[in-house]
Amino acid sequence: MSLVEDLRTQFQTALASATTLAAAKAVRDEFLSRKQGRVTALLKAIGSAPAEERKTLGAQANALKQEIETAIDARETALAATAAPPGAVDVTLPGRLPLAGRRHPLTQVRERIEDIFLGMGYQIIDGPELEDDWHNFEALNMPAEHPARDMQDTLYLTTPVPAPGGRLATLLRTHTSGMQIRYMEANKPPVRIIAPGRVYRRDDIDATHTPMFTQVEGLVVDEGISLGDLKGTLNTFAERFFDKDIRTRFRPSFFPYTEPSAELDVQCQGCNGRGCGLCKHTGWIEVLGCGMVHPAVFEAVGYDANRYTGFAFGVGIERLALRLYGIDDIRMFYENDARFLRQVAL
Amino acid sequence: MKLPVSWMREFVDVAAEPAAIADRLASCGFEVASIDGDVIDFEITANRPDCLSVYGLAREAATAFDVNLKPSSAAKDRPGPASIPVSIGDAGCGRYAVALAQVKVGPSPSWLADRLTAAGVRTINNVVDVTNYVMIETGHPLHAFDVGRLAGPEIRVRRARPGETLTTLDLVERKLDDTMLVIADRERAIAIAGVMGGTSSEVAGTTTHVALESAWFLPASVRSTSRRLGLKTEASARFERGADITAPVRALARALELFEQIGAGAAVGGISDVYPRPAEPRRVELRRSRVGHLLGDQVPDADIQRILGRLGFGLTPASDGWQAEVPAYRVDVSREADLIEEIGRHWGFDRIPATFPSLHSPPREMSPAVARDRMLRRVLCGAGLQETCTFTFIEHDAAAPFADGSALVEIGNPLSEKFAVLRPSLLPGLVDALVYSRRRETDDVRLFEVGAAFRPTGETTRVAWLLTGARANHWSGNTGLVDFFDAKGVAEFIGEALGRPIVARATDARPWFIPGRAADLFLADAGGGPVGSVGQLRADLIAARGLGQSGAVVGGEIDLVALAPGVIAASSRIEALPRHPSIVRDLSMFIAERLPAADVRGTIRSAAPATLVAVHEFDRYQGKGVPDGCVSLSVRLTFRDRDRTLTDAEVQRAVETIVSALAAQHGAVLRGRAE
Repeated sequence: MSLVEDLRTQFQTALASATTLAAAKAVRDEFLSRKQGRVTALLKAIGSAPAEERKTLGAQANALKQEIETAIDARETALAATAAPPGAVDVTLPGRLPLAGRRHPLTQVRERIEDIFLGMGYQIIDGPELEDDWHNFEALNMPAEHPARDMQDTLYLTTPVPAPGGRLATLLRTHTSGMQIRYMEANKPPVRIIAPGRVYRRDDIDATHTPMFTQVEGLVVDEGISLGDLKGTLNTFAERFFDKDIRTRFRPSFFPYTEPSAELDVQCQGCNGRGCGLCKHTGWIEVLGCGMVHPAVFEAVGYDANRYTGFAFGVGIERLALRLYGIDDIRMFYENDARFLRQVAL
Repeated sequence: MKLPVSWMREFVDVAAEPAAIADRLASCGFEVASIDGDVIDFEITANRPDCLSVYGLAREAATAFDVNLKPSSAAKDRPGPASIPVSIGDAGCGRYAVALAQVKVGPSPSWLADRLTAAGVRTINNVVDVTNYVMIETGHPLHAFDVGRLAGPEIRVRRARPGETLTTLDLVERKLDDTMLVIADRERAIAIAGVMGGTSSEVAGTTTHVALESAWFLPASVRSTSRRLGLKTEASARFERGADITAPVRALARALELFEQIGAGAAVGGISDVYPRPAEPRRVELRRSRVGHLLGDQVPDADIQRILGRLGFGLTPASDGWQAEVPAYRVDVSREADLIEEIGRHWGFDRIPATFPSLHSPPREMSPAVARDRMLRRVLCGAGLQETCTFTFIEHDAAAPFADGSALVEIGNPLSEKFAVLRPSLLPGLVDALVYSRRRETDDVRLFEVGAAFRPTGETTRVAWLLTGARANHWSGNTGLVDFFDAKGVAEFIGEALGRPIVARATDARPWFIPGRAADLFLADAGGGPVGSVGQLRADLIAARGLGQSGAVVGGEIDLVALAPGVIAASSRIEALPRHPSIVRDLSMFIAERLPAADVRGTIRSAAPATLVAVHEFDRYQGKGVPDGCVSLSVRLTFRDRDRTLTDAEVQRAVETIVSALAAQHGAVLRGRAE
């Protein structure tokens, strides 16, 4: 192999590993520098070659020099095109996020329910968490010693505390239904309200029970309200909360303050109604209790039970939230572990 | 209620499989807990004591499948001379029937024992088993006393005497009181009425004669006794929900029939039946129009008559519907709506068309407090705080430091000491949530909660917040740790969000905060007491909740009812933008270290002309070059006039006046004047 060929091979190897502008410059210096460049050295060496080879060698060496210059120029142009512009930043580093917290999952579910009913013309009201016996039980057709009081194991206060409306609160409300009474005592029909809030029962804590949970109560009273209206309203709620094609069913049930009473079930979305562990192999998930307002409740608040009818319902938010987020332990909602809370939507 | 389907088939010809029967009855309001072969376990709602029986469920099945219900086998009466004298001395007992029977105590035949076992009742001996069999079949509880062990024999129904005791069949000595009804012989209590018998007259192998009790007790009386004693039985469950007052003699006759059938014994004499005020049948009006009105569906007359007839209601046609006679076992039916529910249940809720209530007046506005809280949650999340939901009831020790000089509201029957008192403030719950997260790989915590707090004077809605750790976390550098001013900033932000500007004044009356780093919050443009407070929490309070090394934890709390009963339209007017330039002057001065910036600001404002439109602090420095006991405070003054451009000279005069006032009132020494 000739000296020229040798040098070409060496240059190609050196160029191949020159992946930065600095390296390319070093290669240029190594081969083309006027003082120490290897091509320069080769051209000088040609002067001492035999005359018959000199012309050929000279032409070859000059061609190589030309070739190297072109190659390095091209490489430098290519490298310059990919180099960072002055002041460039690494855009793959994390941005400076505006600090943002999230509404608690129970708030999000609650407001989702509120928004569905706001869209249907309901008013959102609130009321006291400490209640008197009248608003929590008596007016809801649960006089003292009524067996239905057993359905709700009540927490009582050691010393009564003033409640709105002048009575003394003696207990922690066991349901949001007391707000129905308060509202009807203060307002004439028509009524179209929802009343969200915390409620309390003397239940031991486990994966499906906490002694405090959240309900949304609903109440509609007017002339001519029927069970059909209840069905239409709650079907619409189920479609908007779960899925527009969801199947529902109304099962007769018992609550002292409604007559007739019903439970609303929706088809289990885990198994599409075929039956699975989630729905205890029934294909249905219980969503809420509802019914037509009991005439005794109207009498308690001074409404004409012959003229007005109405429906009421109560939704447990935690149960819906468990389903929505796909978790199986209600206690997570009250631990407030930052790692849990930051997973919910903004 | 465990229902052996084969038992039910004695009364109703339903060929369907147990699963199909379960499904059908579930759609009529009898929720199914489980099906195990021949046995369906129904959850019977509190209003249907009649269905705590095979016969009651058979009646429902007969209605649901539209087939005939066979009469209960022993309807025949057993006349004869009264066997045991009975006296009722209290209105808590509405009826007491008793029969005397000669018995041979032994095991029950297997068919009877098997049925009881299937229904979930333990077999004891043939005599007791028959009483239980009749209870499961008819729903009416019976009790057998060993007559040989009774004083008299005589039955007296009376209140327990103060201090009287009775050892019940579960071998517990019960202390009775005069609210409780007992069955007694001539000398002492032998049973707690409607709840449980006593051991002293328990039927045993040696028993030769029994007194069979079949009575009716007032539901409230049984419920109260059962609750006071903490003793629930099959009998008390039925009596407290309401037994059939017409059933006692029928149930006794059935028991005597079974005694004879299985060779357990035979009646001696007739049935003593004390029934002082026989119940009148209840009659309820049922209007055809009301059925359609309440259900929203026109149920044909024939179906109404079929359903109510099969359920045992006697219907007499009336002008606009019917007069319904309510069977005595339907203690839950006393109104028209109750009858309509019966029709709806068996007609099928699913057949009722879904409609929508019409809206003929405008919807009312959202309650202002609800609107305020919904808005506040969003605003605080947007400001980088995480919403939490903590328990309303907390440990006494967690609550006490935040009681703020008032008593705690205690729960009389708490689940445990962890839930003993109602929170006087939202802060203790946030402290626990903060500690919880800090101990689980989260260093920077920023929390808030909106909710109720409780005092002996009542409840009020509050917002509280708690921050610890870094202000922000980014690879580009440290942004510092939160301090008092981060907590105060949240308070000011809330005030701005609700259109109620807030000012802070130092306080030493909030002992949960570190002295010198605590302030009460006041409405800036209204008088009155504090609406809340902010500060840095005492480290020992945090440590007591399980976090020894916490770094600064700062927070605050505001009473939202005091701050803003509803959302107030913040700045409902917008000022036109200035048409003339402003002139800015910066002042740096040495002032006493303890002089509040608010005082300096106040002095500047009162010394300045109306053209001073803004004062704002931009630096506070202590250290090299500042005399001991002093700080260097720098403020920026902005002057502007609405109608003309100010001259340098007049601004200069205003600044001189301000500087003199600061020197005169606070001894402030000017450091220099930046351009």
